[in-house]
Amino acid sequence: MGAWTRRFTEQSLFNKMFMVTVLSILSVTVLTTWVTVQMSQKLFVQTFSITNSKIIEQIKNGLESFHYANVNIAINVAQSGAIKSFLTEPDADSLSNYKSYYSMVDQMKRIQSGNGTKNIGIAVLGANNRSYISDRTYWYSPMEELLHSSFTQNAWKQPGKIGYSLIGEDMGDTTEPRILAAKALNAPGEKEIYGTLYMMIKESDFRNVYASFTSAGNDVMIVDTTGTIVSSNRSELIGTKSVPLLESAEHITQQGLANQELKMFGKDVIALADYLPMFDFYIVNVIDKESTLGHMLNRKAIFLIVAAIAATALLLVYIFTRRVTKSMRTLVKKMSNVTKKNFHNYMAVGGSYETRELSNAFNYMLDELNDYLKRLVETQNEQRRAELAALQQQINPHFLYNTLASVNILVQRGSKEKATETIHALISLLQNTISNVKETISVKEELVNLKHYVFINQIRYGDGIKVDYFVPPDCMAAQVPKLILQPFMENAFFMLSTKRIAAISMS
Amino acid sequence: MKKKISAVLLASLILATGCSSKAPDTTASPTTATGGDKTETKAETKEVTVWAWDKNFNIAAMKLAQEAYAKDHPDVKINIVEYAQDDIIQKLNTGLNSGTTTGLPNVVLIEDYRAQSFLKAYPDSFQDLSSSIKASDFADYKIGPTSLNGKQYGVPFDSGVAGLYVRTDYLEQAGYKVDDMKNIDWQKFIEIGKAVKAKTGKDMLTQDPNDLGLIRMMIQSAGSWYLKSDGATPDLKDNAALKDAFQTYKELMNANIVKITSDWNAFVAGFNSGDVATVPTGNWITPSVKAKADQAGKWAVVPFPKLKNTSSSVNASNLGGSSWYVLNNPGKEAAADFLAKTLGSDVNLYQKLVTDIGVIGTLKAAASGDAYSKADDYFGGQKVISDFANWTTQIPKVNYGMHTYAIEDILKVEMQNYLKGTELDKVLNDAQSQAEAQVK
Repeated sequence: MGAWTRRFTEQSLFNKMFMVTVLSILSVTVLTTWVTVQMSQKLFVQTFSITNSKIIEQIKNGLESFHYANVNIAINVAQSGAIKSFLTEPDADSLSNYKSYYSMVDQMKRIQSGNGTKNIGIAVLGANNRSYISDRTYWYSPMEELLHSSFTQNAWKQPGKIGYSLIGEDMGDTTEPRILAAKALNAPGEKEIYGTLYMMIKESDFRNVYASFTSAGNDVMIVDTTGTIVSSNRSELIGTKSVPLLESAEHITQQGLANQELKMFGKDVIALADYLPMFDFYIVNVIDKESTLGHMLNRKAIFLIVAAIAATALLLVYIFTRRVTKSMRTLVKKMSNVTKKNFHNYMAVGGSYETRELSNAFNYMLDELNDYLKRLVETQNEQRRAELAALQQQINPHFLYNTLASVNILVQRGSKEKATETIHALISLLQNTISNVKETISVKEELVNLKHYVFINQIRYGDGIKVDYFVPPDCMAAQVPKLILQPFMENAFFMLSTKRIAAISMS
Repeated sequence: MKKKISAVLLASLILATGCSSKAPDTTASPTTATGGDKTETKAETKEVTVWAWDKNFNIAAMKLAQEAYAKDHPDVKINIVEYAQDDIIQKLNTGLNSGTTTGLPNVVLIEDYRAQSFLKAYPDSFQDLSSSIKASDFADYKIGPTSLNGKQYGVPFDSGVAGLYVRTDYLEQAGYKVDDMKNIDWQKFIEIGKAVKAKTGKDMLTQDPNDLGLIRMMIQSAGSWYLKSDGATPDLKDNAALKDAFQTYKELMNANIVKITSDWNAFVAGFNSGDVATVPTGNWITPSVKAKADQAGKWAVVPFPKLKNTSSSVNASNLGGSSWYVLNNPGKEAAADFLAKTLGSDVNLYQKLVTDIGVIGTLKAAASGDAYSKADDYFGGQKVISDFANWTTQIPKVNYGMHTYAIEDILKVEMQNYLKGTELDKVLNDAQSQAEAQVK
């Protein structure tokens, strides 16, 4: 744990840099994506509204032509004497009925083929209860059911108008829902109603007018003024009531809105609507935002791409910042090690310009440091050597040996006094030279030492060597370095003992 | 500025990928060959679309077949679509003429009268089912219309064997018994009809001026048809049976015992509402007759009346009857398999068809089933199905050829003229020359 935190703190610069970059990359990608999506959604809604309002116009045209076909059928049927007499005349004998029926059917077939409208079932129902239906797949049940229906009553209330409504498959005992157009039949210019004309189209055929304009999430619904969905590309909705749909359609058409965004069927949708005066229906184009936008903006793909971009960027950033900070980190490591260990951790010069310069400077500093250190050590060594030399010079060990040897000889010889004197002289000499810490002493004291030294040497070399001292008295107090005179004396003795020089004068 | 540019770039990237990755959802699964001689498609929902008319008969029968097949073949989806027969004919002609089978079903019901014209006009558009079903398993008279050049194209479906459905209560009111109606000729029929009308005020039968089915039944009972036996040459001018039928038809009208109808609904309403005493038609009307539960026990079925002046006429005829065909388009194997395993061979299914709907099939093996020999309470305990099956064997075989309805359209108009007073010979001569001009 501790090691980890240390590692973390060691990398804190990298971490900070990396974190900042991560956050900025992420926020940039997320924000850009969000803004783009928002913009494109707005744009999409606008263009969708524009194109779909055009589409609604086209659908309206298609529905109008369907309506005009019905109008034509209605006009032709109303103008046909054969149909009128079929629907009004009382029952006669088989033969007359045969003719009447034949010519009625003949007329109906002409009207139907003249209109060129297939997929439409035409039925007429007369006041005399006679009826005819061109295609029974539209109506299996007895025609009385139609006669007593509200459609017929409504048609009779408004004789000039073709009234449209949805009839479910249960009405007329058929297999699918149909759109029924009902019109009261009255001869041109006459008020009297002699029958009802019904035109039925299967909802699936009616739907074909607009089905090609729809797609998943882009639905067209046609609702009547009670809110019942009479036709839709979503067949499961046909026959169901949707009051919000109707209200939205009324709202859009009354306010003259281009579109309305609302919640419907539990989804966020854009609704466009228009009124179909001929049918007394509203056409509503409901665009499911989620699925259509989802179609347009493949969220998954966007997410994956953004994630991939971000991940790549982060990876690159990671690699680069690590590389940039690596030399820094090693620098830090080495510098912190320097304090603990030594000055030989030279940097490998590498990395960016800054780190190279830093490494160079650091290395130079280490060079300098090591240089000084070397010199310091050398000086100290020299100092030590000098001190030792000084000490060695102060008392030549040989002198000591020799002196002690001489004392030894004297003792053996039995000349106690001399031995004692010699030892005394050695003691005072050692006292004065070694025990005395002062660097300098007075000439007087120096002379005392010298005399002891001479005495000892005379014991060694014998009495053949005479030493005379000529020292001005005014010099007696002058300070001189300790034992400054001793080496001269030593040399003199040495010379004398080897070369037989008779006398030494020192002044 | 830089930010803006990169935003736009990123945006365009996002948009481009967003738009381009709109792949359709295709769940195509590979087909794997399994051991044996059959390649089976694995776990792929196969769809077979069927077109037929008549919700209460053909569609209902198809639904039973669909159920029977679904038990062992959950992977096949059978879509049954109802159209009017005329619509089916028109859609088939339109599609097959344009040389495409797209938009057309895999299985289609075609009336036997029209079968030859389709098979001959579009020989490559229909699937040869010789390997799927055995033609000899079916009633012989169905093979002519459903095959071509020795190849069996259709799965023979219902028998069109005709009978005379009679209201026993009305007859009794007029002083007749059911036995008085058996094996009679049309003149006797008219005589009884007049009595019934006088006693009950009810007409004897319904007729639609735009449907000469009665004429067809009359001439087939004499082994004659609108065309000569080659199935191509119009045979109207010197056709004694046709003349007899026309005269009989006029007598019926003049006797004022015919309730005129204009469409199928009115035809069904005619007997359902008790307006007529008899229904001379194909056995496929049984379900419609039985739709009125309150009339149970008041109905019987007797042999079809014969033509009095045509010696070859017998008390048996046929009206309609159709068969299932497989179109030569993708999915034909599944469709052929579906038909072969259900209506092509399933005896139990045919029992169910008889019991539940009243469909009399033409699969020979099915006729020995229990359902075929059952007494029907609705018809006063009469063994209707076995009676029909018995009459089936007596139906004179005719070659319907290719032009039944084209000629009938001509005859409808000429029938009008005849009823209005034109000489019969002139009427049939005119019809002959029109037919010769048309059906070349």
